Amino acid sequence: MPLSGTLDVAPRLADAPKLDNYDTEAWEIAGVELLSLTFEIDDRQMTAALPPALHPTIPPVAYFSVAAYPESPIGPFALAQVRVGCRASALPRGFLLRAYSDSPAACDALGRRWGYQCLPADVRLRRYHDRVVGTVAVDGREVLRASLLDPQPISGGSIFHVSTMNLARADDDGGRGVLVQVDPAYTFHRAERGAPEVATFERDAWNAEGIEPVWPVTATFVRCDTGFPRIRYVLDAQQPARTGTRKLR
Amino acid sequence: MKFGIFYEISVPRPWDPESERTVYERALEQVRLADELGFDQVWAVEHHFLEEYSHCSSPEIFLTACAVQTKRIRVGHGIVVCVPQINHPVRIAERAATLDIISGGRLEMGTGRSATWTELGAFCANPDDTKKTWDEIVRCLPKMWTQERFSHEGAAFRMPPRAILPRPYQKPHPPMWVAITSPGTEIDGADRGLGWLGLTFGGLEEQEKRIAEYRRRIKVCEPVGEVVNEQVNTVNFLYCHEDDATGVAKGRRLQGTFGYMAAQLLSAREAYPTPSYPALGLLPQLRPDADSPGDSVRVPDGLCIGSPDRIIEAIKKWESVGADRVNFLLNAMEVVPQEEVLASLRLFAKEVMPKFAKTESAEPAAVVAGGS
Repeated sequence: MPLSGTLDVAPRLADAPKLDNYDTEAWEIAGVELLSLTFEIDDRQMTAALPPALHPTIPPVAYFSVAAYPESPIGPFALAQVRVGCRASALPRGFLLRAYSDSPAACDALGRRWGYQCLPADVRLRRYHDRVVGTVAVDGREVLRASLLDPQPISGGSIFHVSTMNLARADDDGGRGVLVQVDPAYTFHRAERGAPEVATFERDAWNAEGIEPVWPVTATFVRCDTGFPRIRYVLDAQQPARTGTRKLR
Repeated sequence: MKFGIFYEISVPRPWDPESERTVYERALEQVRLADELGFDQVWAVEHHFLEEYSHCSSPEIFLTACAVQTKRIRVGHGIVVCVPQINHPVRIAERAATLDIISGGRLEMGTGRSATWTELGAFCANPDDTKKTWDEIVRCLPKMWTQERFSHEGAAFRMPPRAILPRPYQKPHPPMWVAITSPGTEIDGADRGLGWLGLTFGGLEEQEKRIAEYRRRIKVCEPVGEVVNEQVNTVNFLYCHEDDATGVAKGRRLQGTFGYMAAQLLSAREAYPTPSYPALGLLPQLRPDADSPGDSVRVPDGLCIGSPDRIIEAIKKWESVGADRVNFLLNAMEVVPQEEVLASLRLFAKEVMPKFAKTESAEPAAVVAGGS
């Protein structure tokens, strides 16, 4: 059977957000701008970055994303994420290593409601005619600079955004941790594709020790309606997804 | 109705020095038995880098071994990846012609373009271009096999006049097929006079509509070669057992294992946004409604697992929707012990094959003269 994650979940749980409950209401947000880059990563860490519930993709990949949400119940915010591509059983997913937001309120809400491990930072998304640039700076130190170069229009229907798996703590997890599946829908209004470039990636800031981008795959920039849906599934982080998945609704 | 077997050559971890050899030797033993039992074709895929799922990167060598160890069964080279970064078109033509000679004119030539970023990305092939390069190459292959000298100026490749040797043993050339996974590829195949080499499992109702449209379109095709290959070749799993419950249970394990492994690969559609790959490879066919990681792999309708009677019924359904051939995957990740694979083949040949119109083995696909 395929390789599985070997991440020791326990130390990560100490920093993982605690869910209020599983009864989170959805946030539907219009006019979101989302930059997403895909890179193949060094295969020596392909299992170490993932919890036992998940399988690495072949080849292993990482997703770098920076999004601007113009409105939400806690106001506008920007959100940057680094995720490792994976499979939950047979389904494509991205396991969140860490997220940053320019809104402390967003960090708090996303953590308590959807399990995002999210810290405050200066997160910016800028669109130019020859590139789209997402940056994250923590206390003045740039920890991510991700760009899409030479954007070309494509159909939004060609884009496949994988759902996110967030490691969190929950009242009923028995101390093992849960993976919260965040699987928003997307309605695309504009989509572009280009070459990905990661000029700055400070791994220690992203819980990403050993994650080394080695081969560019693609970058996309979209304007879409999306958001954060009600939680439908949670997984035991430490057993295979096929047997450790719980359907909430 | 003709029956065949096909190979991905999946090799489960942990790997030791004997792992791959063992799987290949078992496959060859199955092929020899299938030849004796009257199966018509053995197909082998071309895949690269697909850990555990498929260690079959040089199918022409495996198929050459099949050819020299058998007498009647036809050898299906398919699909050959018609992407110039992976296979230079001249090398495709040369290898295929040699295999046709060695097999005594038993080659069936399958064409396709790969569906994974795992493969395309490694060879620096642009997923946007693979439909175009496939089109260019399938138009060239028959000319390479039949023209005294061949030259070409195209987007995929260019070359001055050369005699491409050897020539295929079959005249004018071997039957040609195209792999059908993405919706619409059946139309591409029909319009070019190519046989339908189905690579999706089950889904009888949808397949019936697509086959009907294929039949309609191929009647007015402009063939790429000198013959039209109007044949529908579907793929299925086979686990045939006297006890229906045992057969279904083991067959489902085979099917589930295959689907699970296929899902671990990084499809072109998932990794690289492009209209060239509208489908997520095999995954949607295997798990059309699944959005929970806890959902079990769905069992598509029309699978050939269970007792002979159940399998006969399944094949009759395929026959009724217009399939001419069924190719069977016999194993995945070696979850079925070799003796059970062989027993399943024997039982199928004894109880199921006689129920269907027997056609002469070792005949080429039903082809009609085309001419371009």
